Amino acid sequence: MSNEHTIRNVVIVGGGTAGWMAAAALSRYLDNGVTQTTLIESEEIGTIGVGEATIPPLINFNSMLGINENDFVAATKATFKLGIEFVNWGGIGERYFHPFGGYAQDLQGVHFHQLYLRERSRRVMQDISAWSMCAVAAAMRRFGRPGQGARPPLTGLRYAFHFDAGLYAAFLRNYAESSGARRIEGKVVDVKLDGESGNVQSIVLADGQTLEGDLFIDCSGFRGLLIEQALGTGYEDWTHWLPCDRAIALPCSYSGGPDPFTRSTAYASGWQWRIPLQHRMGNGLVYSSAQLSDDDARELLLSNLEGEPLAEPRHLSFSTGRRKLAWNRNVVSLGLSSGFVEPLESTSIHLIQTGISKLLALFPDRRFNPVERDEYNRHMEGLFEDVRDFIILHYNATKRDDSEFWKYCRTMSLPDSLANKMALWRAKGRVFRDELELFATPSWVAVMIGQGIIPEEYEPVADALDEAKVASALEQMRIAILQTAERLPSHAEFIAQMLGERPAAPELPEFVF
Amino acid sequence: MREDRIRNVLIVGGGTAGWMTAAALSKIMGEIPDVQIELVESDEIGTVGVGEATIPQIQLFNSLLDIDEHDFVRATNATYKLGIEFVDWTRLGHRYVHPFGFYGLDMKGIEFHHHWLKGRALGDPTSLDAYSLAIVAALQGRFAHPRRDQPNSPLAKISYAFQFDASLYARYLRRLAEAAGVIRTEGRIVEVVQASETGLVETVVLQGGARIKADLFIDCSGFRGLLIEETLKSGFEDWSQWLPCDRALAVPCELGGDHLPLTRSTARPAGWQWRIPLQHRIGNGYVYSSAHISDDEAAETLLANLDGAPLADPRPLRFKAGYRRKPWIKNVVSLGLAAGFLEPLESTSIHLVQSGIARLMTLFPARTFDELEIERFNAQTIQEYVDIRDFLVLHYKATERDDSSFWNYCRNIDPPAGVAYKIDMFRRNGRIFREHEELFTETSWLALLVGQGIEAAGYHPAADLLSDDETLERLAHIREVIARTAHVMPTQDEFFRSHGSKSEVALRRAS
Repeated sequence: MSNEHTIRNVVIVGGGTAGWMAAAALSRYLDNGVTQTTLIESEEIGTIGVGEATIPPLINFNSMLGINENDFVAATKATFKLGIEFVNWGGIGERYFHPFGGYAQDLQGVHFHQLYLRERSRRVMQDISAWSMCAVAAAMRRFGRPGQGARPPLTGLRYAFHFDAGLYAAFLRNYAESSGARRIEGKVVDVKLDGESGNVQSIVLADGQTLEGDLFIDCSGFRGLLIEQALGTGYEDWTHWLPCDRAIALPCSYSGGPDPFTRSTAYASGWQWRIPLQHRMGNGLVYSSAQLSDDDARELLLSNLEGEPLAEPRHLSFSTGRRKLAWNRNVVSLGLSSGFVEPLESTSIHLIQTGISKLLALFPDRRFNPVERDEYNRHMEGLFEDVRDFIILHYNATKRDDSEFWKYCRTMSLPDSLANKMALWRAKGRVFRDELELFATPSWVAVMIGQGIIPEEYEPVADALDEAKVASALEQMRIAILQTAERLPSHAEFIAQMLGERPAAPELPEFVF
Repeated sequence: MREDRIRNVLIVGGGTAGWMTAAALSKIMGEIPDVQIELVESDEIGTVGVGEATIPQIQLFNSLLDIDEHDFVRATNATYKLGIEFVDWTRLGHRYVHPFGFYGLDMKGIEFHHHWLKGRALGDPTSLDAYSLAIVAALQGRFAHPRRDQPNSPLAKISYAFQFDASLYARYLRRLAEAAGVIRTEGRIVEVVQASETGLVETVVLQGGARIKADLFIDCSGFRGLLIEETLKSGFEDWSQWLPCDRALAVPCELGGDHLPLTRSTARPAGWQWRIPLQHRIGNGYVYSSAHISDDEAAETLLANLDGAPLADPRPLRFKAGYRRKPWIKNVVSLGLAAGFLEPLESTSIHLVQSGIARLMTLFPARTFDELEIERFNAQTIQEYVDIRDFLVLHYKATERDDSSFWNYCRNIDPPAGVAYKIDMFRRNGRIFREHEELFTETSWLALLVGQGIEAAGYHPAADLLSDDETLERLAHIREVIARTAHVMPTQDEFFRSHGSKSEVALRRAS
């Protein structure tokens, strides 16, 4: 159903991951015969293509678009991801795993981690990872999809993907164009505002072409061509909490099967990502330019590759923070134009995806009722802050004092929201998840315990459970997870089989007469 | 429906035999609407739980019950088995393997071993073992499933069995049986009531007074034969003149030594010792003749020859080799130890239960209990015991050992006619014939005869269809293909891992 107020022209500016994700979703969901989605991109302008690692909600985005997961994995050279391994974060030489999915099972309404803390106060316990389906499978480099009828603990195997963001954008471009989105090659040279409303009226391309639109989606990257350069929305800077401001990205070759997890290794003034794809390893160094020169950073990265570099190192600069209004007038910013938080928890693509779903849920008409815009902005602000707090936790909860960088991070003042969370945890291991929060309780538990913050006590209600029963239940859960993991195929085998390749079975010798 | 059909079956005793029977009967007969299968067992009475090692036929039984192999392996701590290694049987220091599966390749319609014998005559000294994929792979600790899709590979016909914890197997089957509707009653039978006119067993009375009536009784009560012997006086045919071992001591120990997919049998001064590796422990036992060694000495010998620390005190067992003269009388069918006993030298205990069940299913009675059918059951059952006995006697008879009174006795046994005939036939021109439907195939007899040192003077003349050179070339090719095939098979441990079939205890030990 459409009427005179229906948005007729949506113009997406920029064709990186954010642009094509938006184009795919809008062309699919605004197929009302009236709304035309147009995407402008210039081949001269490179895309950043960050965020090759993702988190499980991406599965929802893909299925919302009706994308077959196997096709997607094949097209984007994807691998599966069960969580993130953090090395040297809590202290040098330490490592822990932040798994997707929860830990084992709660008992009689008591959170698993409370039972674990209680047991741990009584005897020597294995690492909490032993109760995570994802962590155990990841340690064995195994993977399998829990099927429809899966039962615990296999249902705890939640997963996401590592993929080539350039290939994903190409995959979505194909999808969007076949759903009716129009692509125009061109570079935006001018933005015309409506004198009365202040809305963006049209954009002018280098070849002189003018494109009018009712709604503009700014996917132009850090610079924010419309949201900032044209509308002057303003940026809230978070670098006092997250001082890293540079990154170098560099793919390399690797041998052996791909690991089903992302790895993040902390250094004296930054950290390195390691993202295994089917055909190459994505690597990158995120660092603070105040502590490390670009040349030294490049040296550091090059000396920590496990294979041959496959490209020239690519340098990126950024400042962490968010656009004060993600949606301003008739411009919605998605991706880097709406803000930037380093990819330590693989949230970049998720922030785009949430922006898109929220935009579809609150999709305006040409009257632009401010209620919709305000709700959108409130939601995105909350989400950005949640992600920010969770990332800050990684820097703040550490014993490290081997550099100025870590000394600063360990002692900086925290956002109130985070300080409150940490205090609740320290006292009795409690985690409360607010309404919109992205990271669920087990994620906070994983990072807090992983980085060495052990609560002083556990919740009194945990004491109500019989000690022997809890001990034996924990043991049963642990074994069940271990056995289930043993039964999974190796990650490499799983992918090979999924792609229809028979695993390279050795030739069987034959009798020849 | 037949008016005289059996409506109630009572299985007496819940060891391996009892629960195998319960699982199979409920699976097959459970489909008939008003057939009720019941099993009575007493927790007070221990089970013997012999036969942790099996032969490949068990796969038929498991597949009849739709058992998933990997689930079963996990649940019973099972390991794979490609054969039995015999140590010190022929003479001290000698060893050979009785493999499952085949040797080499039949050529020109002539069994492989004739070509091998010809090769020996031409001066090729290679042992028979080099032509068995099961032996070559097992001695390297390797295991793989058969590849029926690769008919030209020796892996096409590899054959295997399991070694498992018999009490866990009984528990596993109990779960299946109870799910299929079998009713289990806990209790000790104190009285058996027979119908005065017919002598059929009518009712068993439990301690405490409960009574269970049935149309058909399956006696799985063990050596004593509660119904078949104590009530119906079947009589026992004693074979101890051929198989003099009458005692055993069983003891599990910690894992140690090798982890080959083989059962091992080592001859000792007054008998032999079994070694059955499971995923989490090793089962051991000394089967001996009480006339030749004291219980204490036997215990000492056993404990001195373990690959790991003992996990319990040795458990003594007494038995007599032989069979129940009438395994089926009136409405009582005996299975397992109630039907007879043969030492587990060739892992046949569980197989005897299984084939008894199969025979019972074939001749499943109505309440008329037809005598002709019962006679057929009994004749076939006895023949099966006789066949296995002959195969066992060969192990003892064909030996060079003269280092103890026990072995001197065995070497000089006057063997049953069947054994003497098999030996003679082989000695002349290497001929081996499998009589009627006997359990052990030509391959098994070949392994035993050659392994125990019986030499054949000639070979089948038709082996000369291949020229001498061609014979030697082909033998070399077969050896090479087998060696290369074994090399690409995974180790048993890798095999477990890739199928997720490590048991809980084994995983716990490893973590």
